[in-house]
Amino acid sequence: MPDAALDEIFRQIAAIWPVSHALCNSFLKAVKKGLTCLHHSQLADWVKTILAAYESGGLHQTRQLLERVEETFLCTIRGETGISLAEVTGRLQPYATGLAGHPLELIPGQEVYTDTAAVYLPPGIAVFPKQTDNFLLYKLIISFQWAFTAIGTFSLHLPAGSPAIPAATRRQRTALPPACTGLNDYCNLFAKPAVAAHLFHLGETARATVFLREKLPGLMRESGPIFQALARTIPRGAEGSTGDLQRTILLRAAEDTGETPSAPHPVTSLFNGLFRENATSQDSACFATKAYARFLDLTGEPAPPIIFQGVLRPAEVLAVQRKKRAAAKEQFIEALTAVINAQTPRNAPGEKEKGEVQGTGFPDLEGQTAAVIPPEGAGKDTQGTKPQGEKTLEFITIDDSHIDLPDKLKKLAREIVEDLGQIPSQYLSSAKQAAGKGLAQGNAPAPREGEPLAGADLFIFDEWDYRRAGFRKNWCSLAVKKIIPVAGTFVGNTLKRYRGHLTRLKRQFEMMRNQERFVRRQKDGDEIDLDALIETLADIKAGLSPSEDLYIRLARDKRNISALFLVDMSSSTEGWVNTALKEALILMCEALEVLGDTYGIYGFSGMRRTRSELFRIKDLGEPYDDAVKGRIAAIAPQEYTRMGPPIRHLTRLLAESEARIKLLITLSDGKPEDYDDYKGEYAIEDTRHALIEAKAQGVHPFCITIDKQAHAYLPHMYGEVNYICIDEVGKLPNRIPEIYRGLTS
Amino acid sequence: MKKIATAAQLIAEKPFYLEQAEELHIAKTAYHNGLPILLKGPTGCGKTRFMHRLAWELTRPLITVSCHDDLSTSDLIGRFLIKGGEAVWMDGPLTKAVRTGAICYLDEIVEARKDTTVVIHPLADDRRELPIEKLGETLTAPPEFMLAISYNPGYQSVLKDLKQSTRQRFVSFEFNYPPPELEARIVREESGIEQPLAEKLVRLATMTRSLKDSGLQEGASTRLLIHAGKLIKSGIQPRTACKATITETLTDDHEMLAALEEITSSLF
Ligand SMILES: Nc1ncnc2c1ncn2[C@@H]1O[C@H](COP(=O)(O)OP(=O)(O)OP(=O)(O)O)[C@@H](O)[C@H]1O
Ligand SMILES: [Mg+2]
Repeated sequence: MPDAALDEIFRQIAAIWPVSHALCNSFLKAVKKGLTCLHHSQLADWVKTILAAYESGGLHQTRQLLERVEETFLCTIRGETGISLAEVTGRLQPYATGLAGHPLELIPGQEVYTDTAAVYLPPGIAVFPKQTDNFLLYKLIISFQWAFTAIGTFSLHLPAGSPAIPAATRRQRTALPPACTGLNDYCNLFAKPAVAAHLFHLGETARATVFLREKLPGLMRESGPIFQALARTIPRGAEGSTGDLQRTILLRAAEDTGETPSAPHPVTSLFNGLFRENATSQDSACFATKAYARFLDLTGEPAPPIIFQGVLRPAEVLAVQRKKRAAAKEQFIEALTAVINAQTPRNAPGEKEKGEVQGTGFPDLEGQTAAVIPPEGAGKDTQGTKPQGEKTLEFITIDDSHIDLPDKLKKLAREIVEDLGQIPSQYLSSAKQAAGKGLAQGNAPAPREGEPLAGADLFIFDEWDYRRAGFRKNWCSLAVKKIIPVAGTFVGNTLKRYRGHLTRLKRQFEMMRNQERFVRRQKDGDEIDLDALIETLADIKAGLSPSEDLYIRLARDKRNISALFLVDMSSSTEGWVNTALKEALILMCEALEVLGDTYGIYGFSGMRRTRSELFRIKDLGEPYDDAVKGRIAAIAPQEYTRMGPPIRHLTRLLAESEARIKLLITLSDGKPEDYDDYKGEYAIEDTRHALIEAKAQGVHPFCITIDKQAHAYLPHMYGEVNYICIDEVGKLPNRIPEIYRGLTS
Repeated sequence: MKKIATAAQLIAEKPFYLEQAEELHIAKTAYHNGLPILLKGPTGCGKTRFMHRLAWELTRPLITVSCHDDLSTSDLIGRFLIKGGEAVWMDGPLTKAVRTGAICYLDEIVEARKDTTVVIHPLADDRRELPIEKLGETLTAPPEFMLAISYNPGYQSVLKDLKQSTRQRFVSFEFNYPPPELEARIVREESGIEQPLAEKLVRLATMTRSLKDSGLQEGASTRLLIHAGKLIKSGIQPRTACKATITETLTDDHEMLAALEEITSSLF
């Protein structure tokens, strides 16, 4: 192995080792094979991809990625040319997100497809000699995959008696059972489901072409030559064969309508009918059903898909949908429980006996379908429903009681109705049950007597219970502990790794320190304030007593800011996140030393209300010395995330400080959550309340998070503008000081 | 003399303004009840235009002051000047508005110094008074006078927050980018381009807005779309126009610029 390659390997080890030792081992095992494919100058790119995969998918998945270097990367060593996904992700990721209106991840894979949350693309494309064409092909893949979601390919719905349902099936059953309306179920009506799926997909691609010509005309125009070139690669087959249909799509996409046979085959003309704006997925299904027989006659084997078309993976789409649905269900039940509790007169949840179901003012729901909200026009399953006829859902009816929905719940309900057509009665009964049980269900056990708390100060805090809109008195205890500093290379390595960035940071922070400005109307100063002088002269003329504030002075504002950083040390930060947080803290300290703001750092974790823990890393005003550095290096994931007690404690500390501006910055990776009943809405509401208490004490809370779901709860907790979500862990160290700068200037 | 950005106008022509909710009605009701208003919302979403329309509907002159960190109390209230050896009092814009029963609109109020912000307090509560220290007089605002302020809550700096004691004196309106159909109509009317093109611009804006937090600080505002529309109307290629008025305006980050160009080139 050449020295240059060895050097490069060592350099990469330095990048991987602090993230995960195990990953580093796997890398070393795989690197030899990797170098048969990649030039050593490409190792850094490879490692970047690997670390990103580790961050999002964990060790197991990353190991597989390491094994399959040829599939993830173009093997330059073996003379492969073209463009790689890694090269274009930076440019196309925002493109995909912009199209979808929500993060749509780009992931390398063997087959092109989408599960609606991500698009899977080839790791490299070398179809055309020109790189710009290969790039455009990537863009086309993303656009088409997005289009399938946008035109409703995955929400195929066939009403009973639809002509798309093959006659043989229709004879057997009078109607399709309701569960049989999805894409999967449709395909399973055929002897060869794969063939039906393939034909349906062709129809949908035709529709996607029309859709994209409407929505992204620029892209489609530019891609004309590409469509033509792709069309030329498809061997001529019989009329109505899949190859023939593919060519039709490509030529239509290129707006090349040169050759249309005078009397097309019925299948072809049916297919051509899909190229209109108001065609639906049901039309595609009709086409597929009719073409099925003809197709089996012809070849029996489908042609490989056009590259941007990819394949349909309904099962994976379903999995994504289920996940979303489950999350929506949980949120809905939680929120509705809260509403029922709030609207139920004095039920005083929490004081009830364990397990006892209390009356909530509603008749018992045992075994009944209580209430559903029908979507517009959906006439099915209306038993026990109260049609609303309105687009907005204002209330839910459980038996005869109206429950008014707050905005948040209305939005959730609308989403669920859009997805499922109704609010399943089970959601309502679950909420009702949960409401009846109140807190009794998950009460934390009584504090263990005489728990040793050596070497720690103990503080007792109230906790906010939103269900009773009051505090649980003396509910939590918080132990303040010191971290034992560790000696090691972490700090040194971090400083080395971010050397360039650090120089820039320090310069930026230095500039903030000299917040110089001219102040007018001073008693003394460097220059005469002409405005003030003229005014005073005029005042004298007017018979007023003249002002003496006639000078301009260059003032250097003392910043007078105290900031406390509260670092999440819950177990979920294990690994990469923990490392990034620590690196961020080091950079932050270095920058703040230049700036001179007073600051402190605390970590928090714990388990159960009786054992919240706060780790002192640096007190306000404590010098940034080796001990502090050692403690930062020693930060390690612990247990859970009960946010209320540490926030309340730090608020106290800040309130005692004299600074004019008091900042409390939380660095976190997710929602507040503890082992006991400190979860969901309860945990969010307590945290929110702790933050409101902080604001009342003149403290500005701010949250920096890497939780991609943060938008769902952080605005509620911190306020619309008081948080920032960083979408990549790797950006934390660079971004945090920048955010601090923005916050305080 | 320092120049103050002031403009007093009785608006002659009906300004084009499309209502998103009932904001005009509510603002007029506030006016008739002597209540001041606070407009908040991101840049370029129609706050200034709304004020123009409101002033027109109420047939009151509109005096706009753009606040900055050097704006002193005298700049708002007035000062003595020397004219021909005589000291002459000159009303500041706020005083002028109170005297003439105009609408005074303090744009970007958080930019003004804290001590300046405080002078509006007695005007903004039920006293509706403006003390003029130098003249030793206190003006009581006539019913025709209205105070309006605006601010952009999107700034995350803790130094630029509106104090509770200030904001709790106002009837507040939240402005946001209008829904797509409405926004397309605004862009069309304002720039004179055709509907399909306006729709495309709005689509572009929507895409940039969904990139907020994933690399962009702010999405494209209605104002930027109108700028783009105007350039296009004057014969500049859509892609070029969007690059100049939208993408380059939104970011300096090269990767993000490239990504935004991919979006525009797909759309146009
Ligand atoms: N609802 C609307 N009706 C008509 N025009 C609108 C509307 N909303 C925005 N506009 C157009 O958008 C442009 C920008 O709006 P405006 O100048 O009022 O923004 P602003 O909210 O005052 O922004 P800033 O905070 O930057 O001052 C206006 O010139 C106007 O053409
Ligand atoms: Mg304005």
